[in-house]
Amino acid sequence: MKQDKLSNAVLVLSCQKRDESAFRELVDRWEPRLYYYLRRIVENESDVWDTLQETWLAVFQNIRKLQDPLKFPTWLYQISHNKAVSLLRKENRYAQMTVEKMADDCKSNNAVLAVNEQAELVHKLLGQLKLAHREVLTLHFLEGFSIREMAQIIGISEGTAKSRLHYAKNELYAALKGANDV
Amino acid sequence: MSEPNGKKEFADNLLAQDPPSADMQQRHKEVLLKKIERRMCLQRTVIIAIYMVIFLAAFGAFNLRKYTDNVVHAIGWGTVSLHIFLWSLIYILRGICMEMEGLIEKRLDNDERRRNKNQNLFLTILAIVLFVLSTWFLYRSFFLTDSLKAAQKVVSVLWTTIFFLIFYPFRTASLIAKLWFEYKKMDLYGRT
Repeated sequence: MKQDKLSNAVLVLSCQKRDESAFRELVDRWEPRLYYYLRRIVENESDVWDTLQETWLAVFQNIRKLQDPLKFPTWLYQISHNKAVSLLRKENRYAQMTVEKMADDCKSNNAVLAVNEQAELVHKLLGQLKLAHREVLTLHFLEGFSIREMAQIIGISEGTAKSRLHYAKNELYAALKGANDV
Repeated sequence: MSEPNGKKEFADNLLAQDPPSADMQQRHKEVLLKKIERRMCLQRTVIIAIYMVIFLAAFGAFNLRKYTDNVVHAIGWGTVSLHIFLWSLIYILRGICMEMEGLIEKRLDNDERRRNKNQNLFLTILAIVLFVLSTWFLYRSFFLTDSLKAAQKVVSVLWTTIFFLIFYPFRTASLIAKLWFEYKKMDLYGRT
């Protein structure tokens, strides 16, 4: 984990020196994660790719301003959050904060505690949660960000982030329990 | 299974539930890199164009000095060419200095960072004020009729650049030395 962070920091430093191959590697390394995160916020796949593109262009443009290379993940997610939110605002979807349900898929599942199947179930249930809850849970599960980092990414206070994560977890557990009962 | 490994495995499995299609990923990367290449090319072109305009302007002013039969104008154009050239040199030196400062800044604490920022802001404002004032002074010297007075006045315009021409190279050198010490410290004590 620590090695990952350090190699990331080295890549960021190389990018700050305008090393194109380092940037390419950074894109390869972070793209699947960003894609997953953005897919949980923006539903249309072509919108996700557009947002990803804007995110990377903004990263390339502003990477020299990043003071601490170790904070790259937080900074990257912050940019993609802002891009996604501005896209949703354009379409008036962010204010709504809810999405349609994907209940049909998960009802047939029995909750199995094996990590892989649990992940599959969580992935399906994430689609049922409120957008704000889905976002914090994705950040929590995918990157293990701290409350402070999550607050920074989403642009809310630490207290709000903490309570949002708490409610999101409760909502997810309730959904998990529901899926287990069926 | 230790907890961090479990978390990582869970995250990996979560990612595996909705991976981007390889085709789209490849296409997206190609488009992205093309856009970035174009952007970099444009930036380089703009910078080269700006420098070319500056040097052409300086060279033009230097040539104008030859085609005038007015002594005051000849002195004025000669000084204008040097004025443009020296200030553009200061701009380049400042750029190099800022680049070095960006590298060392990551190792400074907040107080030092703030102090550096304030100092840079002060120097930038000072440079802009001096550039504007000396340009105005130079412009006014074209209207003088006494060539001796004109020569005496325009020389002082060139002196306004001296401070920056000395300050930035020395600052850059000291930053390089600081960086080298930091590197040595990391080398000796394995500090990151």
